[in-house]
Amino acid sequence: MLAATIKKDLLLLLRDRGALGSLFLLPVVFIAVFGSIFGGGSDVAKVKLAVWAAPGDPKASSIRAALDESKMFEIQEQPDAARVSQASTDDDVVGLVIPAGVGAEHPVELYLDPAAPPQVSGPILGVLNGIVSTVINGPPASGDAKLVDRRAPPGKDILADVSGFQIAVPGNAVLFGFYLALTVALSFVEERRTGTWRRLLASPINRRMILVAKLVPFFLVGLIQFAFLFGVGIVVFEMRIAGSLFALAVMAACVVVCATTLGLFIASLGGTEKQVGSIGSICILVMGLLGGCMVPRVVMPPVMQTIGLFVPHGWAIEGYFDVLVRPGTGLIDVAPQAAALLGFAAVFFALASSLFDFENG
Amino acid sequence: MTALLALQGLGKDYGARKAVVSLDLEVQAGEIFGLLGPNGAGKTTTISMVSGVVTPTRGKAIVAGHDVCTAANAARASVGLVPQDLAIYEDLTARENLAFFGSLHGLRGGTLRDRLAWALDLSGLAGRADEPAKQFSGGMKRRLNLAAGLLHEPKLLILDEPTVGVDPQSRNHIFEAILALRKAGMTILYTSHYLEEVQALCDRIAILDGGRLIAQGKVGELLAAHAEVGFEVEVEGEEFAITTALAMAAAFAELDRHGHTLHVAPTGPLAPVINAIEGAGVRIVTIHTRRPDLEAVFLELTGKSLRDAE
Repeated sequence: MLAATIKKDLLLLLRDRGALGSLFLLPVVFIAVFGSIFGGGSDVAKVKLAVWAAPGDPKASSIRAALDESKMFEIQEQPDAARVSQASTDDDVVGLVIPAGVGAEHPVELYLDPAAPPQVSGPILGVLNGIVSTVINGPPASGDAKLVDRRAPPGKDILADVSGFQIAVPGNAVLFGFYLALTVALSFVEERRTGTWRRLLASPINRRMILVAKLVPFFLVGLIQFAFLFGVGIVVFEMRIAGSLFALAVMAACVVVCATTLGLFIASLGGTEKQVGSIGSICILVMGLLGGCMVPRVVMPPVMQTIGLFVPHGWAIEGYFDVLVRPGTGLIDVAPQAAALLGFAAVFFALASSLFDFENG
Repeated sequence: MTALLALQGLGKDYGARKAVVSLDLEVQAGEIFGLLGPNGAGKTTTISMVSGVVTPTRGKAIVAGHDVCTAANAARASVGLVPQDLAIYEDLTARENLAFFGSLHGLRGGTLRDRLAWALDLSGLAGRADEPAKQFSGGMKRRLNLAAGLLHEPKLLILDEPTVGVDPQSRNHIFEAILALRKAGMTILYTSHYLEEVQALCDRIAILDGGRLIAQGKVGELLAAHAEVGFEVEVEGEEFAITTALAMAAAFAELDRHGHTLHVAPTGPLAPVINAIEGAGVRIVTIHTRRPDLEAVFLELTGKSLRDAE
């Protein structure tokens, strides 16, 4: 009896692709991503540093030479100081202006996104402080005057008092917002299981209209979830929204549209409640991981950062983050992120429409 | 009478498997038409095609003058489907379920309220209309399932095994509702593997087996054509004596043995059969007349028992 039970459960487990994915594939993906983030090694990406050093100034030239010797930076020489700040508006470029007479009176100007996480800004600040201080004062000692003046690149200002909630909300809002997809997918499974799906198909309504009608309530619930989460943040935790509320609402709508269509796509792959639950959870967790919900994409290796652009989560976090912490962020500023999310939604819906097996009721 | 439903060479394939090969039949307005056959015979696939749930691979299905493929919405609007599954939302009340299914068919406002009241009354659920369906008994859920298919006054009501798993009280309620609907002139396509139900309710039937139509007609006509009056003879005796009795009686009847019960279909008078059995030293315990039924029709047409075929 014992052997028969063991054999039966092994057979069931081996035939449950969702459970196998959760047990074997999911940990491997997480290990690979976290390992590549925190593992260091020889393939650590260099920081792109746009530099202008005042010509003819010996200390500026020394700092410039020391930067070349550092293995941390990929130097992009700039013709003047203005070009440095302009170049630093790129998300992956840091700007550095080394003025004539560099010292406590004229510190080097570092253009680094104020929103960059400590994992990114810390090493850059540490290395630059070390180089500049060594050139000017000899080996660095505590109490050195401020020799590196950190500034925000043009258009990258953030609120002076960014709260922990503003940092925590985007990743979590996106990760849990996309769990709506699982609810959507399971609702289709439930309709099929109970037989109500046959009844819907037997009604005088276009089949694609049935799909759309099924998605609308989830879209509304997603918006309510968003309003609730941000409402609690604002009212209870005094979270501030630096950008436009309208832009935030548009971003939320795009995220919810994307999540509901992702749910439809997962449903179109078919399967039982157990299979859809497992496969859907894996999809959402892995997408969340790659998109930067758990670890900021900016600290990931370049390859992982690029992969992150192929999941909607990365775009969603960027959009939310900008609206929350960067003053003056309006609809036009988050238009690329919103467009990307709608693009993902269109792809999900098109794939689901072609894959959905209406008659498998 | 005019045909409310006409199937012309209707068939459906799932990959290489032919679920329904090619069906030609007509259901007249106002009649209850039974689709009879074992599981896998193609009954559910047929009604799925008629109700627009499944697209036919070949042939045509015309409902109330509308082709289910080329005028799908008009055809679906003419059909009320009562699936075999309890296709209701358990967390919604009976009234909310019916309101939803009614609105799918375009019922609004006062019309919807009137139809709701009528359907709740017909299903005997008026007193519990505002309770969630999950609190209902199996029979009550099945009655709600039936009511949901009736709200929009379909021209053709399709009942797919409507009494599966139902207690006797609810079964009677469903039968009464079906007979009331027939009286009101509704056309009903009824599938079941309960032969007694089909025999009692249906004006005409079609027998399906392996996706093929093997017979159709009025119940009485099929019984007359394919089922004979027979006897069930219960016997006692030694095995050798019973075997001898079967051999001797075979000259006067077709015999089929099930343990100590002999199914006897005499080719002439019964007396020589009895004499042959008793002459072999076998004692006859009881003799019952076996009325012709659809089970016998199915056996005659397919060579197998309907229940064995399931």
